[in-house]
Amino acid sequence: MSTITQLGGKVRAKAVGKTVDTTTLLLPTTVNADPRKCVVLRGPNGSGKTTLLRIIGGLLGPTTGTATIGGVEADERNPDVRAAVAALIGTPTTYRDLTLIDHLVLVDSSWGGDPNTADDRGLALMARLGIDHLDDRFPHELSSGQEQLFRLALTFARPSTVLLLDEPEQRLDTTKREVVTELIRDRAKDGATVVMACHDPGMTEALAHRVVDVKPAR
Amino acid sequence: MSEVAATREIDDHELVGQADWVIGGDAARKGRRQAWYAGYVTFLAALAYGFPVVQAVVKTADPAALREQLASPLTALVVLGAIVAVLWTMYAAGTRRGPVVPPLPWIDHVVTTPVDRAVTVGRWWRLAFGLCAFLGLLTGVTVGAGIAYGGLVGWYTAGLVALGGAVFGWLAASLWLWGQVRCWPGAGRGLLTLLRGRTALRALHIEVLRQHAANSSTIGGSVVAGNLRTARLQLARPVRRARSARLRAGGPFVVFVRRDLLGMRRLPSTFWAGLGLSILGAVVLAWALTHPAVPAVAVTIGLVPAYFGYGGWAEGLRMQADNIGTPNLLGTSLRAETLAHLVLPSLFTLLVLGGALAVAGIAVGSVSVQAVVLVLVLVALLAGAHLLAAFRGSPPKSTFSPSGTGPALLIAWYLLPVIAVLAVGTLATVLTHSSSGSLVWGVLLTAAIVSWGLSKSERLAQEHRV
Repeated sequence: MSTITQLGGKVRAKAVGKTVDTTTLLLPTTVNADPRKCVVLRGPNGSGKTTLLRIIGGLLGPTTGTATIGGVEADERNPDVRAAVAALIGTPTTYRDLTLIDHLVLVDSSWGGDPNTADDRGLALMARLGIDHLDDRFPHELSSGQEQLFRLALTFARPSTVLLLDEPEQRLDTTKREVVTELIRDRAKDGATVVMACHDPGMTEALAHRVVDVKPAR
Repeated sequence: MSEVAATREIDDHELVGQADWVIGGDAARKGRRQAWYAGYVTFLAALAYGFPVVQAVVKTADPAALREQLASPLTALVVLGAIVAVLWTMYAAGTRRGPVVPPLPWIDHVVTTPVDRAVTVGRWWRLAFGLCAFLGLLTGVTVGAGIAYGGLVGWYTAGLVALGGAVFGWLAASLWLWGQVRCWPGAGRGLLTLLRGRTALRALHIEVLRQHAANSSTIGGSVVAGNLRTARLQLARPVRRARSARLRAGGPFVVFVRRDLLGMRRLPSTFWAGLGLSILGAVVLAWALTHPAVPAVAVTIGLVPAYFGYGGWAEGLRMQADNIGTPNLLGTSLRAETLAHLVLPSLFTLLVLGGALAVAGIAVGSVSVQAVVLVLVLVALLAGAHLLAAFRGSPPKSTFSPSGTGPALLIAWYLLPVIAVLAVGTLATVLTHSSSGSLVWGVLLTAAIVSWGLSKSERLAQEHRV
């Protein structure tokens, strides 16, 4: 048995930068985010937004600066950090032999959700994203937009105090972007700290309590 | 009535020869010479190592008891089962990567011409056919000569075994091609195409050739790069079965066991392949554990299908390893999830091995306690080896090779889990046969393998953060 400490949602990234060999992926950048707030990272392609999110999520170690989650070093090898951070950065690996609803039930059960209502929670989340009619589809049977909504559902299905999203608007039409905006706003209202990279001015306007401009290295 | 404007004679072989020269220069001739040389080296290896090993195995066993057991209906059934399993595997392999896989430029620029397709792709078929027939004949000759020299059978029977090997090679190659031909729907793909190689080659569709060439590149590249996940996904068929079945929610541990069960329901081929191979391995292992006259190599041989059978049921474990390095979605700890994915394959293997041992015990009148404990040890050993296989990570870098991972190191890295099973499993059985107290060594070695596998899974989870 292991004990998990529930971390607070304060995100502090102080002058974090990343250089691999001679290539600078991210210039030193500072991001501070608090619970119930949403910070949007903005910047041109290649400026290092994804790298910054990976550093905040503890998936990547910074070469300069420090990143913390709830006062603890952001390192996903720490189970407490893993328990605190839900992240949609890149493509989550899915099980090719599970349907969409099976995935959500699995995620829910793995976090100790009530087995009697796991299906209802999964279906409600899918309904919120407008993909409940796809519950018995396998991941390889989705369009690119549906796949993005499914990835978001997977990320939202697990509990978290910090939510990291890398361009959640990708491949979504205008209506679906509004749906996702509402969902993110609700998650922040419920107490989560949201840090997201976004290219959509509408979503940024609707969600951002603060915008951080990430400067490209060159 | 078709309207014919004019006809023209073309020399297929002449045109293909010219294309061959333009595209490959002298490469084709050199390739043929290399194939002959590889065959020569394989023949020498069989002569130097295969033949002495086979005859030594026979001579170290009790020939009379071994002859009696090999002549039993059960042995015939096991041999038949193994032959059917190999032939079915060849057919299944043909549906993904057949024997006829020319390079893509050759497919696009030569195979698409009006030249007889049996000529344009004939070289690859002859190579694959020759390889299978040669390997079958060589295996037959090695085994036949070995058991005849060891005094188990007469030379007449040895000749029949050699001939059987060649026929088996021919059949395996033909089924491999048949699997490739049947990838494309249409008429003229019946069993008769097995006997008519040129007809089968003409029935190969260009899209199948392209797909198999692409499969070959992807699988070959990912195997060389040590990325078996890509190779597995390339080989896998999309899942569409049991769509309406639902994963039943449960505790953080139980839900993963249910996940694996549902996965087997949706991919029944993995379940049946696992069962068939496990039964094959279990029969040989039970025979070896209940008959003192059986040579120790029988355990080694029996562990091979048992290892792959366990692997057929361990898809969940491999999928868990695939997920390592991606943002965390699941709340269950890595160790608990790993153990949960071992439950079904270990349980099924235990049932099959235990069942086979019980049947063998009824046949001979008794089963020793050591044999029962050995079965438990072998199941744990298979679990440990599959942990090593699933969480093997990236190939190690050699300090002596400029490319980092040389071919020998890569092969050793791939074979490590199965070698661990064969070595520890055989050693544990031999030690137990010699002295019942030695069983403790088998238990300790198995515990070390399991512990190594678990630590590898945790190390892999730590290593990806750079």
